[in-house]
Parts: sequence; structure tokens; C-alpha cells
Amino acid sequence: MQRLKAVDVVVIGVGMVGSIVAKELATAGYRVVGLERGQPRFTVPEFQGPAIHDELRFDIRKALMQDNTREPMTFRNHASETALPIRRWESFLPGTGLGGSMVHWNGQTYRFQANDFELATWTRARYGRNFLDPEVTIQDWGVTYDELEPHYDRFEYLLGTSGKAGNLRGKIQPGGDPHESPRSREYPTPPQKEHFSGAMFRKAATNLGYHAFPQPSSNLSQPYTNTEGIKLNACVFCGFCERYACEHFAKSVPQTIILPVLLANANFELRTGCQVQRINLDSTKKQATGVTYIDAAGNEFEQPAALVITATFALNNVRMLLLSGIGKPYEPGTGKGVVGRNYAYQTMSSVASFFDDDVIVNPFMASGASGTLINDFAGDNFDHSGLGFVGGSFIGAVNTNGRPIQYHPVPPGTPAWGKDWKRAVMKHYNHTVMFSVHGSSVSTRRNYLDLDPTYRDAWGQPLLRMTFDFPQNDLKMADFVTGKAVEIGKAMGAKQVVGAPRKAPYTTTQYQTTHNTGGAVMGGDPQTSVVNRYLQSWDVPNVFVIGASAYPQNASWNPTGTLGALTYWSIDAIKNRYMRNPGRLVSA
Amino acid sequence: MRFGPGPRIAVAALLRVCLVLPADGSIAAETPTPPAAAACRDCHGAGGEGNAAGGIPRLAGQSAGYLEQELVDYSSGNRTNPIMQKFAKALSERDRKTVSEYFASLATPYDVARSTANAAELSRGRELAQQGSEAKRVQACDNCHGPDGAGVPHAAPFLAGQYSGYVASALHSFLNGSRKNDPGQLMTSVVERLDDADIAAVADYFSSLASND
Repeated sequence: MQRLKAVDVVVIGVGMVGSIVAKELATAGYRVVGLERGQPRFTVPEFQGPAIHDELRFDIRKALMQDNTREPMTFRNHASETALPIRRWESFLPGTGLGGSMVHWNGQTYRFQANDFELATWTRARYGRNFLDPEVTIQDWGVTYDELEPHYDRFEYLLGTSGKAGNLRGKIQPGGDPHESPRSREYPTPPQKEHFSGAMFRKAATNLGYHAFPQPSSNLSQPYTNTEGIKLNACVFCGFCERYACEHFAKSVPQTIILPVLLANANFELRTGCQVQRINLDSTKKQATGVTYIDAAGNEFEQPAALVITATFALNNVRMLLLSGIGKPYEPGTGKGVVGRNYAYQTMSSVASFFDDDVIVNPFMASGASGTLINDFAGDNFDHSGLGFVGGSFIGAVNTNGRPIQYHPVPPGTPAWGKDWKRAVMKHYNHTVMFSVHGSSVSTRRNYLDLDPTYRDAWGQPLLRMTFDFPQNDLKMADFVTGKAVEIGKAMGAKQVVGAPRKAPYTTTQYQTTHNTGGAVMGGDPQTSVVNRYLQSWDVPNVFVIGASAYPQNASWNPTGTLGALTYWSIDAIKNRYMRNPGRLVSA
Repeated sequence: MRFGPGPRIAVAALLRVCLVLPADGSIAAETPTPPAAAACRDCHGAGGEGNAAGGIPRLAGQSAGYLEQELVDYSSGNRTNPIMQKFAKALSERDRKTVSEYFASLATPYDVARSTANAAELSRGRELAQQGSEAKRVQACDNCHGPDGAGVPHAAPFLAGQYSGYVASALHSFLNGSRKNDPGQLMTSVVERLDDADIAAVADYFSSLASND
């Protein structure tokens, strides 16, 4: 093993979080090394057409995702079962390579609502102490919406997000989402153009008394020069966002919003093909000394650093802590320990509305976030009294693509293959509106992450083991909200409306969403959180863990906007407080 | 994953031939000229072949939807040119459609005169067309204009075989404000990052793809 020259900061993973924190610290004058396990890649040439529109390669074979021939995860529904490796990603898609998972995101850029950050306190206050199922372990985040608002704002102006404000400093704005928590200013760019399916949804939802608004999109509606001085283009609605990279410089990803500035900074060094094995601790186990990684040629290096920031995909952040012996692993039997605790997901249901030939939807003309939605059944925007669950879903006509291999909605009863299936695909392809019913996910005692006792990765390290099934709370929620969505489909005048509320058991063989959260959650109490409100490890104060791994439970919306806000919130504390006086930012 | 130049040019040419054949299988020469198209022929040629020296674009085989949209835009002033605006305004809505469909249906042979551009310039043009430039933060032309600029009917015109002088002036027109018909400033945001040498290179490259094979 070769010991390298010490640096001020080592950042593990150069995706969205890694790029932002490295840029802030390098600009402040610190010597920063970014370790990325995947390949370097840029809009030109790697993301250019026609190769980037290869549905077989990217959609079916998951070319942008973590290589699970070398580094899978194992999965089981319940602790009584034996977990097996996930050999092909389907349910969720952790990315790899420079720019991370954000490269293949859809650009759906939400904020959570103020009460999401104080969910346990809020729920008890509104519905009483005994409202929740005892298995549910939701908790407050330790940070408030008001504290995060400037950081949400900063992140949105980095991305150039296209949307319409619904609440400007407390004043409700026509055309926006009236349920949103107050924002300090309008979105950086106006909403993307509305689909025909979105227009139909808007009309029906409005007639039912709901409040439709355009989906906030980081596939931009117009050219935009961001806060780093980098210019992005307008989206062309090509229909290849999720699972693909954007060839037009129109989707906000590290390559289009921050990497050009970061890579030009002499204080930053990017090393790709570097698989970090562990964060190294000194003999007290209370101080990190750096990291050990193996490069693409198989050589092992120790990179000493005064500060370590792990900025990998949520699940991998948790694994990095477990592999490094940082924090006490969670034990579901006793409920003790914190690392791996409160793993949550997203409860995805859907509704398909089938129309006659005269309603032409053009599903292929799409961006990843050009839908029309309502938040009337999201979060706590409706009275849950007597419903027996917390949480909710946004409902929207969110048409992200009509790609030939994967997109063929057909009504129930259609054969799964053969001539009749083909006929049905032709009949319905252009005349079907799909709703996303995008639901929250509570944390529970039984859902958690730990290290697998049997299976190891290509470097000999134990795999992450996921134990997860849908909580009763979320199944009830999915049932209730999907029923509301079906009513909207009927109000649109569809000939047939088919609701598919999420059912147990959870399976990893069906795509749902890549919104894996928790496992290294933030909070005010070291007994129930891994990191403090600034995402600093309680146990090893010179380690920060920044990712959706910090969410104590998941809310009704896509997690990226909130992660961007948390990233700026955390890096501000690191820059302005920690680096000047290293040590605990919050006393335990 | 990238194709060599030879087979791609052949594929692009084949695509063009397929696109311009009328559905009834009749050959282009037999298509009767609609009266409204008579005025177009004075400049754009009897077969819609255009005029290289005059910087007048080839219309034969161009997408009908695209041609019609340009006539609408000339008429509204979204695209300005004293001669074209005068003719476009004189056409009825129906005539715009008729002449657009007529020129789209023509399979007039290409003028395949050898390009005078040097190899280095063509290579630069090909790079911008097929791959773009990370340094300039410009994406490949072919992303929207189709493989080797073969065109994506309605949305994006073909560029392959179009005259170099016309393509260069069309690109400049997005910068000088005489053309504002690119929703989302899709063209303007690309052209403003190219210099004159880039514009000449890409125009010469597409022009060099003229082929009757």
C-alpha cells in the first residue's frame, strides 16, 4: 500500500453532492481530492446521440448504473429470510461515474413542506399520541424548513429549475402550488410547456376542486446562465431523461452546472476509477485519518486527510460507515444502534386512463419533469383523522417518455405476448394517460440496512444487505390516494381507468423509483441518529455524511431538491464553522 | 459505437431517397407543378435544386412541415428576408401547404460538385456535426438534424447536401436577429458559441455530403 501526501479534504463520490462540496471547499482555498469509483464522462462526447438513445443499452441493461457484477447489494423482505444478491437492477437504479446518479435523473425538483421536517412532533400535535402504528419510527429532522429555505433557493438557482411559485413569502400565487411552504423568490425559469395529457389532467383536477400546477423541472424551459456562470440550453422534449444522460446541455447535472468550474480549480484533484474501501480511524476510533482506496489497476493507496466527506449514493453512504466501523450498527431485535436504522423508500402507485382513438397523447414527446400535478393529497395537506396512516402522495400526469421497448400501456386482461398483445399496444400507445401517484414512505423498526454475512464484492468487502417490506401505514396510504387519482382519470373522460395501488410484498424485480433514503439519519439525539443537524457524524466529528441517507423518513416528493438544500446547509456549516475550529458542531 | 463516414453517408442518402418518394410510387418528374410554386422556381430552380452561388437553398426533398413553417414565419416576420417575406405574404394558407408538399415530393438530383474546403476544415465540420464540442459546450448538430444531417421531418430540416453559403448565412441569421423562429432559442444558443471558422466548417461539411448514390 502506498501512503499519499495528506490533503485537507477527501470527498468520496463525485456526483451531485461531491461536486458541490468540493467546489465550495476548493474555492475557499482548501486542498481537496475527489475519489470517484466510476469513469470520467462529459456531455461531449459521452452523452451525444445517437448512441445515448440506445434503449437496450441504457434502459434494459442499465449502462449508467453501479456495476452489480462487481458490487451488488443483497435483499430480503424480512429478517427471518436469507438475503440474496440483486444481480440486475430493476426496482431502483444507483448510478456510478462522474456526476453520479444525477446524470440519469428526470430533473423533478421539489421542496419538502415545513411539517415534513417536524413530522413526528406535527403528527402527535394534530392527531394525538396514539395515532401512529407502534412499528412506525418517524422522527423530526433536527433542521427546519425556514433554516433550509435559503439553501433550497441556492440549489434551484444553481440548477435553473423551471417552475411556478405557489407561495411567495406567504402570499399564494395563482398557477403555482398553494400547498408549498413559502419561498423567498420565483423559480429561476418559467415552467416547461404543458403536455396534452397534463392539460386534460389540469382541467379535470380543477373541476374536482383541486389545485393543479406545473411540475418543477430541471430540464430547462429556456436558456439559463447559472450561479456558477455556466450556460444551459432549453430542453427539446426528446423523451430520454431517466436512465439516460442529456446530449443537449439542457438537463441540470454536475457536468452542466458545476463540474466545469470545479475541474478548473487548481485546489481540486479528481481521481476516477478509485474504489474507496474504508474511512480510516485512529486508535481512539474518534478521529478519521483519511481513506484507503484501490485504483483501476488494483493498486492500494492510503489518502490521509484532515476531513472526510462521504457523498456517495444514499445506500453506499450507509455501507461506507458500516465498513469503516463508524457509529453503532442498528439491531432490529433490540431497536438499539443507529447505522442502517430508518431505511425508507417511496411508495409508488399508478393509474392508467385509456381513451378512444380521437384523444392523441403523443407520449414520446416528453421531458423527465414536464407533468401537471396536484398536492392536495400529498403530505399532511388533507385531514388524516380516522384514516389510520400518515403521509400522502402527489398525483400527476407525469409523462416522461414513450420509448419503444419499455412503454406500452395495455388494459388488464391483455395477453402478455403474441398477436393480441401487439394489437393492444398499437391501439393504446398513443391514447393512454399515465398518472404517477408518488407516495411518502415511513420508517419502521423492521426495515433497515446492514452488512451481508455471506456475500462480498469484487474487492472482498461485505455487501450491503437491505431488509425491507412496505409498512401497513404506506399500503393504506397508497390505497386511499390511488382511489382519488382514479376519480381524476374518470373526470378526464377516459373510457377505462385502471388504478394500481402499491401492494406488498416489495420486490426488487420491478422498477419503482431510485428514491432510497435513510440509514444514516440526521437528528438531535445520538440515540436515534447517525449524524447531527449539520450531517456531521456524532461518533467521528471529522466525517460528514451527506446524502438522502440523512432523511429520517421519506416525504411525498422526489428527494433531490431537499438533498441539494441539505448539501448547501451542511457545506456552509463546514466552511464557516468547522474548518475554522474543527470539532463537534453540536454537543452530544 | 460510432460509424465510419462511408456507410453513414450511404444510409443517409438512402433515407433521403425513401423520404422523398411519393406514396403512390410515381416518379418526381411527373408531379405537376402547382401554380403557386411557379414563383418559387425562378430562384429555387425548376426542380427545387436551389442555387449554390446565389446562396439559395435546395428545397427538393425538404420536409413539408418545415417548409410550411418557414413560410408562416416569413409571413409573420419571425424570419426576415425582403424577397421571401414578400412572396410568403402573397401566398394563402392553402398555397403555403401546397407548395411545401410539392417541393418536399421532388427527388431532384443533387449537385455533387466537389467541395473546395480543405480536409482539416471538413474534419472540424464533421466533428461538430457528429460529436459537438465540450470545450465550446456545443452539442452535435446530428442530435436534432438526424444522422449525417439527414433531417427529422417537420422538426428539423435536412442539412446534408444543402449549400454551404446558405447554411452559413442561416446560422448567422440566428445571431443577427433576422431569424427568431427557434423556440427555446435552440439554434441561437448553439450558434452564439461557434466562431466564424466553426460556422464555415460545419456548413462546408454538410454541403459536402451531397450525394446521388
